[in-house]
Amino acid sequence: MNEGKEELDELREAVREFLAAKSGESAVRAAMKGAGEVGGGYDPAVWDQMARQLRLPGLALPSEYGGDGFGLTELEVVLEEMGAALLCSPFFATVVLAAQALLASADEAACARYLPGIAAGRTIATLAAAEGHASWDPAMVAARASRTAEGWELSGKKSFVIDGAIADLVLVVARSTAGPGLFAVDGGAPGLRAEPMTTLDPTRPMATLTFDQVPAVLVGAEGQAGRLMSRVLDLACVALAAEQAGGARRCLEMSAGYARTRFQFGRPIGSFQAVKHKCADMLVRVELAEATAREAARLADEAAAEFGVAAATAHICCSQAYLFAAAENIQVHGGIGFTWEHPAHLYFRRAKSCELLFGGPAVYHERLLDRLGI
Amino acid sequence: MPEDLLPFTREVREFLDAHAPRAAERAAFRWGEGDDRVAYFGADPPEVEERKLQAARDWQRTRYASGFGWISGPPEYGGRGLTPVHELVYDGIESEYDVPDTGTLSVIGLGMIGPTILAHGQQAVKDRYLPAMYLGDVIACQLFSEPEAGSDLASLQTRAVQMKGDGEVGGGEWILEGQKVWTSVAQHSQIGMALCRTDPDAPKHKGITAFLVDMSAPGVDVRPLRQMSGGSDFNEVFLSGVRVPDDHRLGEVNGGWRVALTTLMNERATVGSEGSGPVAEALSAERLSALMRATWTWDDRALRRDLSELLADMLATGYLNARAFRRMQAGVAPGPEMSVAKLMYAQNLTRAAHFVSRVLGPRIIADTGEWGTYAWTELLLATPALRILGGTEEIMKNILAERVLGLPKEPGIDTTSPFRALPKSGGAS
Repeated sequence: MNEGKEELDELREAVREFLAAKSGESAVRAAMKGAGEVGGGYDPAVWDQMARQLRLPGLALPSEYGGDGFGLTELEVVLEEMGAALLCSPFFATVVLAAQALLASADEAACARYLPGIAAGRTIATLAAAEGHASWDPAMVAARASRTAEGWELSGKKSFVIDGAIADLVLVVARSTAGPGLFAVDGGAPGLRAEPMTTLDPTRPMATLTFDQVPAVLVGAEGQAGRLMSRVLDLACVALAAEQAGGARRCLEMSAGYARTRFQFGRPIGSFQAVKHKCADMLVRVELAEATAREAARLADEAAAEFGVAAATAHICCSQAYLFAAAENIQVHGGIGFTWEHPAHLYFRRAKSCELLFGGPAVYHERLLDRLGI
Repeated sequence: MPEDLLPFTREVREFLDAHAPRAAERAAFRWGEGDDRVAYFGADPPEVEERKLQAARDWQRTRYASGFGWISGPPEYGGRGLTPVHELVYDGIESEYDVPDTGTLSVIGLGMIGPTILAHGQQAVKDRYLPAMYLGDVIACQLFSEPEAGSDLASLQTRAVQMKGDGEVGGGEWILEGQKVWTSVAQHSQIGMALCRTDPDAPKHKGITAFLVDMSAPGVDVRPLRQMSGGSDFNEVFLSGVRVPDDHRLGEVNGGWRVALTTLMNERATVGSEGSGPVAEALSAERLSALMRATWTWDDRALRRDLSELLADMLATGYLNARAFRRMQAGVAPGPEMSVAKLMYAQNLTRAAHFVSRVLGPRIIADTGEWGTYAWTELLLATPALRILGGTEEIMKNILAERVLGLPKEPGIDTTSPFRALPKSGGAS
């Protein structure tokens, strides 16, 4: 599918229509309520329909593993719409984090074993990398992997594990004598305990996972997680950027819609330049964010050398744009925007959470300079 | 790229291979070597400027002779009769070659006024000027802005009064009286497109007429305007009793606003597409990091963060432009990308100049003679212009908000009273 071409527009339209029906504000709020409980935080029926009707989990997975073989360009469109609708779903953890980690490992046996379940929507999966210090840098990993007679076992503690309390499959970065490696753990394995974390953004549940001699399978080669995580984080940053761009666009639409119809001093507030220019500033940031997310996805599909730079750029620009749009959206709405009943705060929470998920400005500026090779 | 463009692409390459060298690979940058000027505005000595202008005219003539002088123009006026997409394709390929910069001819004259003459000019004017413009012989400028008509262009006051021709009412020549300002390339132009007030009793948009003025006519006085940055890239143009034949009128009498919109519509397509040139080169990641290393600030965490934020926005603006370019090549109408890119371009350069100032510290307030330091003042002093020229930031934001987001216009702007009755600056009311 090429940008500007009908297929991409049709995909966007289909996903948007589906989410309008299944992930409206009341559905989001219902899912949020379950976020603090084990097994809660999403609607399994919607997840099932996403897989069966729209085939979304397998959209960008290779056909030999049961996917439809499209690229990040197509996945980006889907993620923009999911971000705009604040969809509460294990899609990001399963399809982006876990599936991309498996693909990046180049472990054909592991891919053949796990990816078809992910593509079909049968398996909910996630990636457990960060620990108490919240860093996704594999060099910071303390969780241990030890050899046993049957294979491997893991011990340690992971935090900030997205959808960690509902995952059937957990990919874990743990340290063996060879350094940090990637391991697959069954969500119901003995010795694994999941505890939901209280999150700023209730639309994206996270958990702390405690491993006590949990049986595990090595994915890829031992000590390989450094290189692997660099690739996975680049891809995850682009996927997250797509969600952020979509969310920022929705904030802008909400603001512009309100500014057109809200009257004060006998005129629509959008006719005041103070409000008008705020909306124009949001538009500028949203256009820029969208361009970076889409360009990075395109470069990933072309395996272009500039992909790393584009991914880092998208992560920065989309983080800033979403945060800006979400905050200004509340301001444009005034008092009503500060109420629990109004959805503006849900976007504000999501924007802040997205910005800092992978470390935030403290990490992403250095990543861009690194990717630029300067 | 669509397949039917391939033969054209081959033809363009054959032409360029025969007439121009390929752009040399940029030599690896070394701190302290080469020209350290960071000039946004041209600040060449007059003889250099004259030489560059001649090279630009020669190159335009070469293009024209091979059918690339006016790719989307109609054949009866020397055009090639192809589409704007072909023009984009040509520009993309030409940028790979080392050819003279034809901006003095093309940005305003060929890019904006040529299409306006084509759309609104009378036959005699089209025959006389269009081929000559695209041949590189005639340069055109835009006599729009006035001291009392900046953002509010429709409040212009330069008068045009029609004389009676051959004893008949109307049909005779026009006499122009007034002052224009911020006129680029007026000092090089043979013709100028002037907007004039022809009916002060009509509402302000409905009493304007557009003319093509011979810049060598008696009563046209072009005076350079000195900018805050020191150079003179713009002019004031005084029109004192300038006679203009009626066949040099563009569009209907009092229909000049529509004509002006044609010109301005073509402006948006040309501004903001600047991804190359000496300024872009000086602001590359490589050069900026070299500057930080040379000033021992590379390890300064705050400056590294500023650098990353700046580079991210510059890269993003480049991606936005690249997307818009690809969409236009695919025949998709451009969205708001061009206006956004223009705003971002001004913002990026402004931030870059201030970032570099922070890196340099006192070395940008007084010249130590060190290479690549005080030279940045040239960019620093140019940046305030970027938020004003081609539509102020405030007007650009109004346009984005009103046209893209559908926000209502400012109420109370009087578009119905006679122009004569509207309040003016400095007037007691």
